[in-house]
Amino acid sequence: MSTPLVVAISVVAVVLAALGALSTALRRRIGTAHLATTALLELLLVAQAVVATVALAGGHRPVELTTFLAYLVSVVLLPVAGLLWARTEPTRWAGTVLGVAALAVAVMVWRLLDLWEVTRG
Amino acid sequence: MAEDTAQGPGRVLVAVYAVFALAAGARAAVQLAVQFHEAPLAYLLSALAAVVYVAATVGLARGGRGGRRTAVVACSVELLGVLVVGTLSLVDTAAFPDDTVWSGYGRGYGFIPLVLPVLGLLWLRHQAEEAAEQG
Repeated sequence: MSTPLVVAISVVAVVLAALGALSTALRRRIGTAHLATTALLELLLVAQAVVATVALAGGHRPVELTTFLAYLVSVVLLPVAGLLWARTEPTRWAGTVLGVAALAVAVMVWRLLDLWEVTRG
Repeated sequence: MAEDTAQGPGRVLVAVYAVFALAAGARAAVQLAVQFHEAPLAYLLSALAAVVYVAATVGLARGGRGGRRTAVVACSVELLGVLVVGTLSLVDTAAFPDDTVWSGYGRGYGFIPLVLPVLGLLWLRHQAEEAAEQG
């Protein structure tokens, strides 16, 4: 896990949540900006997952490894699930749906970082 | 349209419920598998919470008469659970060494577990009224 990446992910996730709230407030559906931001978020999450996997292969062992792995897989899938669920929503609420997924990502990456830093030795 | 609990603001509710189903489910699975002996009561409640969140998510997402009924039951159990477990966790801290989703009225999760069932029940009542109006 890389702390700068966690910060970057949080920032992008909050921006995405704000974009989602904005489109809901303006009574609009999600557009290119939402798509691009979701893609950037997913890219950063995949990068984070790769960094973590390499460190795990190199011998880093969080105490709660099972929880860590479950969260890592979930967090990578969240933006994809949020986007799919938002794209089938024909009303202005699509942005908020995507925002919920984005905020969940922001919370989960910090929880992941906590889990990562607790090791046995 | 009136039958659709998963359209418009309802979809936001389903999204939040799905996140909680995921979080509670993953946590309960790990707790039960790895450290069940440490706090059996708390971990069984975690598992129950996860099941309730999954039921509410599915009920809301499916909609219709059956989906709404499932969701009403799930949201009611959830509200009862967060109130009972929240109170117990403050009174009998020994039984709850580890936080569950419902401990301290969902304090560890920004009190969302307390607000969510209320929003869910309000939304379901609104949907039921619309369905009744349309015959």
